[in-house]
Amino acid sequence: MNTLVKVGRYHLVDRISFLILPLGITLFSFAINLLLFWLVVPEPEGHTGGVMSLFIYMAVIGALSATRSLPFGLTLGVSRRSYYLGTVALAAGLGVAFGLWVVLMQLIERLADGWGIGLHFFRVTLILDGPWYVSWLTSFVFLVLMTAYGLWAGLVFRRWSVLGLVTFIAAQVLVLVAATLVITWLDGWARVGEFFTGLGALGMTGIAAALAVVLLGAGFATIRRVTV
Amino acid sequence: MTAVLSTTGLTRRYQDQLALDDVSIDIEEGSITGLLGRNGAGKSTLMRIVTGQEFASAGTVRVFGESPVEHDAVLRRMVFVREDQVFPDFRVRHAVKAASWFYPRWDEELAQSLLRDFDLPDKRAIKKLSRGMRSALSIVIGLASRAELTLLDEPYAGLDAVARQLFYDRLLADYAEHPRTILVSTHLIDEVADLLEHIVMVDHGRVVLDAPADDVRGRATTVSGPARQVQAFVRHRRVLHERRIGARMAATVADRLDRDDQAQATAMNLKLEPLSLQQLMVATSLDAAGDHPGGNDAQKEDIA
Repeated sequence: MNTLVKVGRYHLVDRISFLILPLGITLFSFAINLLLFWLVVPEPEGHTGGVMSLFIYMAVIGALSATRSLPFGLTLGVSRRSYYLGTVALAAGLGVAFGLWVVLMQLIERLADGWGIGLHFFRVTLILDGPWYVSWLTSFVFLVLMTAYGLWAGLVFRRWSVLGLVTFIAAQVLVLVAATLVITWLDGWARVGEFFTGLGALGMTGIAAALAVVLLGAGFATIRRVTV
Repeated sequence: MTAVLSTTGLTRRYQDQLALDDVSIDIEEGSITGLLGRNGAGKSTLMRIVTGQEFASAGTVRVFGESPVEHDAVLRRMVFVREDQVFPDFRVRHAVKAASWFYPRWDEELAQSLLRDFDLPDKRAIKKLSRGMRSALSIVIGLASRAELTLLDEPYAGLDAVARQLFYDRLLADYAEHPRTILVSTHLIDEVADLLEHIVMVDHGRVVLDAPADDVRGRATTVSGPARQVQAFVRHRRVLHERRIGARMAATVADRLDRDDQAQATAMNLKLEPLSLQQLMVATSLDAAGDHPGGNDAQKEDIA
C-alpha cells in the first residue's frame, strides 16, 4: 500500500473528527435554520449561507492533522513530506466527497423549493448558486483552501508554539486592516463589489485555487522545520 | 559486524545549551545497547535525531548507511518508543491497527498476545489510559513492529514491577527468535544490566563511556576499610568518589584491579566490591560534575 494512502487511512481512523463531525455540524446548523425559518418565516425567501459551517470545520480538520495527529504519525516512520502529501491528498478526497454532497443537497433544496419555505441553506448567492458542476468545483476548491489554511496554522503552532500562532494571526489581521483602510481612502468599496460580482463563481474559484496553492506551499515549507 | 547506526560529531544546540556535544557512536547490528545517563543528559535528543524527529545542529547520522532525515525507506525500518508519545484521539486498538499498516515486518499475533499480557483494554480511549498503560501500548507497538532498529526511550515509565518483568521477558524472547538492533535508554539501570551487551553513557551531551558491557562490569571498584589504609591503597589510583565516616572510608577507584591488587587489598584488610552499572553511572556523573575532591575533567577519558 502506498505511504500516502496509509497516511490518509491513519487520519480516517478518527472517523468522528474527519467524517461524522463535518457532516453532523452542518446538518445540525441546517436543522436550526430550518426550525427558525419555519417558526418565524420573515420573508418569502431566506438566505442564511449556513453551509459555510462545513467549510469552516475543514480548517479544524487541517489544524487537527497538524497538531494532534502529527507526532504519532512521525513516530510510525513516516517522513514529514509523506505525512503532508498524504494529509493533503485526504483533504482533496474529502473536498470531492463533501463537495458532491453539497451539490446533492442543493439539488434537493431547489426541487423542494427551499424546503417548502424558500430557505437558501446550501445555495449561496453568486458563489454557490450556478450549475451543479461549477458548484462542485467551487465547493472542492474552497474546502481544500480551508483545510490548507487550518493545516498551515496548526503547523505554525507546532513549530513556533503560541507566540508563533499569535504572530501568524496578527499578521493576517494587519493585512486585512490595511486593505480595508486603503479601500476606504480610495473610496473603492463599490468597485470592489463590482469586481467580485464581475468575477462570478468561476473567477472567485480561480482566486481561491491560487490562494490554496500558496497556503499549501507555505504549509509544506513549515512542516519541513517541525520537530516532535 | 556492521554498524546499523552511526553518528559522527553529532551536535545539537538549543539557544545557550548544548544538548548533544560532538557525539560519535557506532551501534552494531544485532546487539542490545544501553544508552545511560542522567535526566537531560541528551539521551532522548539523540534518539529523536536518529529517528528524524529532531534536527542536528552539526554532525551526521547514518542509519543502514543512509541519512534518516525525510527518508521513508530508512524511517520505516526503525521504531521509536518514547515515554512522552503524543497520541491522536484513538482507541488502543486503533493505534495498534495504524501501526500495523506502516511496519513491513509487523507481527499481529505478537501484538495481540502482548495486549493480553499487559491487560490493555483495546477499546479504551488512549487519553483515558494511565501512564503505565500508555507505556505498555508503546511497548506493544515497539515489539510487534519487529523493526530492524528498535529505539526504546524510557520504555517503562510508570509500569509496575510485574509489567516491567513481563517486558524484559518478552523482549528477550522475541529478540532471540528475531534478532534485531536495540537501543534502550533507562534510569532503572540495574534492572536491565543483564540484557545489555554494550553500554553508551552520556553526560551533559557528551559520550563519557562507550564499551562492551562485559568490559564495563568490574571496571570500577569500591574499596572500603580504615581511612589510612584506604588512602594508602588508592594513592596512585584514579578515584571517582570517596566518602568518609569517622575513621572509616570508602573510595571508588576507576582502575581495573588485578590479582596482585586484590591480594594487596586483602593484606591491608580492605574490602573490595565491584560497582554495578548503576553505581558506575552515578559515580561517573558525579565525577563529571566535579562534585568530589578528586574530580578532574581531564581524567574522565581514562574510564571512557
